[in-house]
Order: sequence, then structure tokens, then C-alpha cells
Amino acid sequence: MARENHMHLGLYLSWGGEHIGGWRLPEAEHGAEKLDVVVRGVQAAERGKFDFVFSADGLATTLDFHPSSLVHFEPLTLLSALSVLTSRIGLASTVSTTYSEPYNVARLLASLDHLSNGRAGWNVVTGSQPEAAWNFGKDAHPDQAERYAIAGEYLEAIKGLWDSWEDGAIVENKETGQYIDADKLHILDHVGEHFRIKGPLNITRPPQGYPVIMQAGGSEAGLDFAARTAEVVFVNQPGIDDAIEFRKDLQDRCERAGRPRNAIKVLPGLNVYWAETEDAGKAKLAELASFTDRAAAMKVLSERLGQDLSVYPLDGPVPDLPPSKIMQGHANALKAIAKREQLTLGELLDYAAAGSGHRVLYGPAEKIADDMEEWFRRGAADGFMLKFGYVPQPIEEFVEHVVPVLQKRGLFREDYQGTTLREHLGLSRPPHPAAATREAAVGE
Amino acid sequence: MKNGKKMHIGTLMTWAGTHVGGWRMPDAEHGGEDLDVVVRCAQIAERGKLDFVFFADGLATSLDFHPSSMLHLEPLTLLGALAVSTSHIGLAATVSTTYSEPYNVARMLASIDHMSKGRAGWNVVTGSQPEAAANFSKEKHPPHAERYAVAEEYLSVAKGLWDTWEEGAVVADKATGQYIEPSKMHVLDHTGAYFKVRGPLNITRPPQGYPVILQAGASEAGLNFAARTAEVVFASQQDIDEAIAFAEDLRDRCEKAGRPRDAIKILPGLAVVLGETQEDARNKLNEMSTLVDPVAAMKVLSDRLGEDMSRYSLDEPVAELPESTLMQGHARVLTSMARRKNLTLRELRDLACVATGHRVAFGTPEEIADDMEEWFRRGAADGFMIKTAYLPAPLDEFVDQVIPILQKRGLFREEYEGTTLRDHLGLPRPAHPGARSEAAITTDAPAD
Repeated sequence: MARENHMHLGLYLSWGGEHIGGWRLPEAEHGAEKLDVVVRGVQAAERGKFDFVFSADGLATTLDFHPSSLVHFEPLTLLSALSVLTSRIGLASTVSTTYSEPYNVARLLASLDHLSNGRAGWNVVTGSQPEAAWNFGKDAHPDQAERYAIAGEYLEAIKGLWDSWEDGAIVENKETGQYIDADKLHILDHVGEHFRIKGPLNITRPPQGYPVIMQAGGSEAGLDFAARTAEVVFVNQPGIDDAIEFRKDLQDRCERAGRPRNAIKVLPGLNVYWAETEDAGKAKLAELASFTDRAAAMKVLSERLGQDLSVYPLDGPVPDLPPSKIMQGHANALKAIAKREQLTLGELLDYAAAGSGHRVLYGPAEKIADDMEEWFRRGAADGFMLKFGYVPQPIEEFVEHVVPVLQKRGLFREDYQGTTLREHLGLSRPPHPAAATREAAVGE
Repeated sequence: MKNGKKMHIGTLMTWAGTHVGGWRMPDAEHGGEDLDVVVRCAQIAERGKLDFVFFADGLATSLDFHPSSMLHLEPLTLLGALAVSTSHIGLAATVSTTYSEPYNVARMLASIDHMSKGRAGWNVVTGSQPEAAANFSKEKHPPHAERYAVAEEYLSVAKGLWDTWEEGAVVADKATGQYIEPSKMHVLDHTGAYFKVRGPLNITRPPQGYPVILQAGASEAGLNFAARTAEVVFASQQDIDEAIAFAEDLRDRCEKAGRPRDAIKILPGLAVVLGETQEDARNKLNEMSTLVDPVAAMKVLSDRLGEDMSRYSLDEPVAELPESTLMQGHARVLTSMARRKNLTLRELRDLACVATGHRVAFGTPEEIADDMEEWFRRGAADGFMIKTAYLPAPLDEFVDQVIPILQKRGLFREEYEGTTLRDHLGLPRPAHPGARSEAAITTDAPAD
């Protein structure tokens, strides 16, 4: 069990860095399709005892995409390779419930959990790129309510598939010839609104019971879904007070859904630019800003606000926008920042370009650690999803300079205590429902 | 024949061996969910300079399944892990076109090809387990003809997606800030009877152009599909003359489809049981026969004959059966063998459970090499899919004892000469259609 007073750190695997111009720095490398670059960043994170690495994902691309997400490895195959090249760090990825089949995804994630001996995590998304529909024989992206209805049923069905076999189902007794214990088989036979799935799954229960369930939806539907099912929530909050309020609200919802208040680890996104001095950090950001492709930056901002903003003047104010139907959490955070700081559209564009809309910290280790500590101690965060402007050097710098400060302050683990992602996060392993029922019966 | 034509050898990495009772052997290990065992086996195969390791797959399971295929790792994630655990050997797996989306599968296979630097292969199957339908919200397994029509369109969509980006599309010029070359993007915009896929794919063209396309279907529809698109075909003939006839027929079909006769490498399955003497090998086979679960063994046969055989009497000759719509190749070969050798159902079951219906060769390493050489020289095979009764010891023995003989005879490579699976198999890398039409323009230009 991780100590409650330790924060949790995830590495956001950005292929070419979060800053839209990051790939252009002389020292930057691009890991989109270069395994050794990805591995360097991930192994640094493991040296830094991070809880997990996380790969976002999408099911479409266009020329105006962020260079980091235009073309890249498919995450589940990549994490499988990383399972061999790492030994302790958690391995998490986005998989959309809108454009896949539960039986296929249940197998892929269970397999990753087996390959990594219990280090898999799944960010359940309903798909934030409407263009994906066209790659999957659909005329339009289903609307939000339907996407969340599908996701709810999908997650329930997939857990049922993971529960096909109780622990110890494979007997493999060479003497008697008994390979399987038939009593430990549970056939799902799911019949729902969107899926009919008989089962059983052709792989045993994941070592973690279920991979860790992560979510990022910031809409009403997304928050309620998270309150019922998520174990880690990624969030974008512009300021500490917003973040405290968000976390408290999510904990309330969690409680109303019948779960403990601390059942979910809330990890706000955080871009970190470590530098020897504050000025050096500022100079690095200025250098990066000079590399920004404004058309690509506009696409990032438009996506996060749910509206094409390229039609508005850059030196004018941020226009009033209708509520977004897609990335509601991002949209709200960006609008709040623009309002609070009185930003022009151009300034908001630069802000979003530096960290895909997430908060940006720069400067020496102590300063970065102070900020992280404040957020953690004041209940704004259970930890952070760390993002870096380019790769892989800033990850290595963070691990070398900032992690030791957090460790010295007793805020972060000095070494891994367990072997599974659930252990790193202090999450319990969900018992098999049948075993849980039997235990309850014995207890009565 | 040192520099002559070489055979191609792949191995079917059944999770615990092809023999239904193989897992019970004292030194057997089960790789179903144990990466270490699988990695060790893949590394053994790589030590033997085999062309590729191959993982079959299914989308359903039940208690009467072969213990090797009841529960196991998912192959594409496993290939991702093997890409960084091996350096030369090809990595191939089955993916069904009936129960998946081309965009998802194109990405995963491209990703494996990138991570392995060009070693991926895809066995395109239409799904031979009707039970899978119930796991994918479908009333029933689509009929044979429809499955092949879907597969054909699916494959053309996947290739179109792989061709989204011409080579060199990612410019990543730090000085100018140009990340991508727009003229090298080709949006597929496919609308067909079964799929509507716009593209572009969000990963660049696989290092091999396309992963190597493998197939195993032996029905009329399957053979014609293979003739048009396959680069490796797994076959299941038990008899050399049947195998020659099969190979000649497939080469004819290939030619009729406008491809060279040798465009497809034909690899019959061959289960190898080695011994110090013929007698010793036979004893090993007999020992394993005593370890067989009769229910699982009958399920293997029933799947291959497309009929529930447990309803028939064990000690009668094999009954006349209606034509199978599932594994037609296996059904034909097994029934033909039963007739030829006048086998009872029990005898056919015991034979089928050694190597899930594939040919079994037992004897000394020299005898096995002789057998392989004869099939190869007489045009019955371009190589073999080697199966072992269990893992990993028999694979180790094959690599240590049979491969050196084949090498000494000049029938098999001593070292990998290339780096990609296409290199190993002597298959050309498909040029990008955009580049192909440019080549055509150059060729058509008047020579002056």
C-alpha cells in the first residue's frame, strides 16, 4: 500500500513533446515512431519511481494536428513492448469505447496486464475526435449521452469478461490430466442495449483483477461516470481553488455513488520546464514560443474549446462561446484562464500551445516542488500527470532534479513498495464477484 | 546446392504444443500466459534462423478446447513484447476480418512492423469458430461466401490505410518548421459493400510496405482469395502427391490472377517427433497418446471436420459427412486419409490430436531432414510450418538436430541475410501506389 501522504506521478507519453513547437528545439527528439526515444523517457520515469506512463490516443488524424499526435505508434502494442523493457512502472493507455468491441479490448488489456505482471491501466474514453466516425463506417460521432451510455455498458460487460475465470482456474495437473477447474468458469451472457456478449473470455483474469480504470471526462455525464467507476481521474484545472473545488465535488459524487471519498486519485495535468534558474526557464519557454506553428496551435485550441476559432482575430478578446460538447473540462479551464488573466485570443493560443491547455510551471526544482506540494497539501490533487514540452531530455531533468526534492520532503516514494500499478496507487485488487459472495456467506 | 533455393521454415507457437496431451509431459512448459516461456521459444527459433514464429488465434473458448488454445495471451500485444525480445525472426499472428475494424487492426499491425523494424506478418482469417459470433453481438457467424467477401474488402481497406503516407512524409525539418509533407498524404476515402473508411491512418507506412500477408483457407473461395493476395499459404496435406497437386493448383490460380507462379510460399504443416531411432520416436508418440483427454481430442477433430463427432461410434469406420463450411482444407485431408487408410473414428481422432490434423513425421533427425528434403525438391512445399508436440524441449531439439542437417545440405540459411520478414521469405517490398505510378511514367517515357 502506498502511503496516503505520498503523491502519485504519471508521465504523459507525448510523442514529440507537449509544446506544439517543442520538436523543433535543437536537443529535441521525436518518439512518434522511434521506440528508443520513447524507451529513454519511460526508463527515466521508472528511475524516478513514477506510478505509471500514460499514452493518450486518437482514431483519426489530419494535417493540422499537433505534430506530436499526427502519426504515432498504436499504444497497446507499444505498451506491450514497454512491458518487457521496464519492470515496475505502470503502463496505461486510452482506448475508446465508441469504436471497438469489448471482447477484443478485454483480451488486449488482460494480455497487457499478464505481460506486465499487473501493471496495466485503461483510460476509458468515449472518443473526442468526431472525425473518427468516418474511419469506422459511421456517418457521425454519436452524441454525448449515447457515447456515455455505451461506455457504461461496455465497462460493465468488459469487467464481466475479465471475471470469466476465477483465480486458480487453471489447475494444470500433469498427474491427473486435469487442465481446468470447470467450477471456476463463469459465463457472462450479457444482453444489453448496445452489446450482446456470451463469453467466456479466452484469457484468465488479469493479475490486477481489472486493469486500473482511468478517466478524463470533465462533462456532467463524464463526472458521474467517473464517480461510479474511475480509480484515477485526469483533470485540467487552471487554478488551485478551482482544483480544490473540483476534487471535492468529485469526492462528493463518489460518496453519493456509494464509494469511499478517496476511491479516486485526482491527477491534474501539469507541464514542467525545469531550469537552473527562473530566468533560464522563462528563456526556454520564449525559445519554444518562437517555434510555434500558429495554425497547428489554433487547431489544438479549437479542439479544446469545441469550436473553430481560426475565424476570430488573434489580437481581439476570446469570443463568448457556447458550451462545448466534446472536451468540456478543457473548455471550461481555458475559458476561466482567459477571463481571469484577460487574455487576447493570441495569448490564449500561446498558453494552450505550451502545454495543450494544461498548467505550465518553469524554473528551479524548489520552486516547482513548492507548487506541487501546495496543490497536494491543500487537497487540489492526489498527484500529477506530468507533461513535458519536448522529449526526452526534460523528463530526465525532472527525474534528476525535481524528484529528489519531492522525496526529501517526504512527498514521494523513494522506491517502489509493490509490483502492480494498483499497489503503486494504493488501490485494492477487486476480488472476483463469486469469491466475494462466498466470503460474505462465510462471514454471516 | 549451397547457393541454391532454400526452404522457408516457420513455427506454429501453440501455447503448450500441438499434441492434445503434450502439456502433461514431464518437461513440458505452458506458454499460454507465461511470457518467459514464449520468449524462450521465440529465441530458440531465432537461434535456428527460422523465418518466423506464428501465433494462431481464436475469439471464443470453452471447456472442451485443446488445452493449448483454451486460455492464452492475445497475439498482437504478445508480438509487441516479442518485437523487443528478438532481433531478426519474423513475427506473425492471426487476426480475423469478421470481428474487427480495419482501422484498428491496420494501426496495430503497422505499429508492430515499426517496432520490429519490418518483421510483422498477418494471417488473414475469416474466423473458423462459429461461437465467436455470440461474443460480438451477432446472431450467427456470417456464411462462408459473405465472410470471404468481407475479408477481401477488409484487406484492400487495410492496404489503402497503410498507403496513407508515402515514404518520407514526415519531414520534421527543425529549421523551417515543416513537420509533414502534405503532397505525400493519400486519403483513402473507401466506400464499399461492407466498409466505409475515410482515413488517413495515424501511423506512417509500415517498414515492409505491408506486413507479409499469410493465409490458410483451403476452400474454393479461400484458394482464390489466396491466389490474389497471399504471400504465404499454410497447407495441411498429409500425402506428398496430394501436396504437389495442391501446390500446382495454387500456383495455377496465382498465375491466372496475374501474379508470378512463385509469388506464394506454400508451407505445409509438419509436426516433428524426434528420437534417437525410429522406434524411440514412436515410443514418445505412444507415451503422449496415453496422456490425451478424449473429450478435448474429439473436439479438435470435430472442429476440423465441421461436425460434432462425439455422436458417432468410436470403433466404426469414419462416417460419411456433409461438406464442412468451416475448415474445409482440414476436413478434406482428414477424410481422405481416413478412407485411404481405412481408419476407425478412434484412430482418426488419435492421429488428429497429435498435431491438430497436420502431418506427423517421427524418426531420427536424418530421417526428418530426408522427408523435408523430398517434399521440398519434389515441389510439394516451399518450406514448412513446424509444429512440436509440446514446448520448449522438442523445439530446441529440432533446432539443434534437424536444422544443422538442412544447413549442411544447403537447404536452409546459415545466417539471416536480411533484416525484415520479407527479406527472409524473398518477397518484394510492395512499392507505394503513388511511387508505382511514377515508375510507370518513367518506364513509359520514349527511349531516345
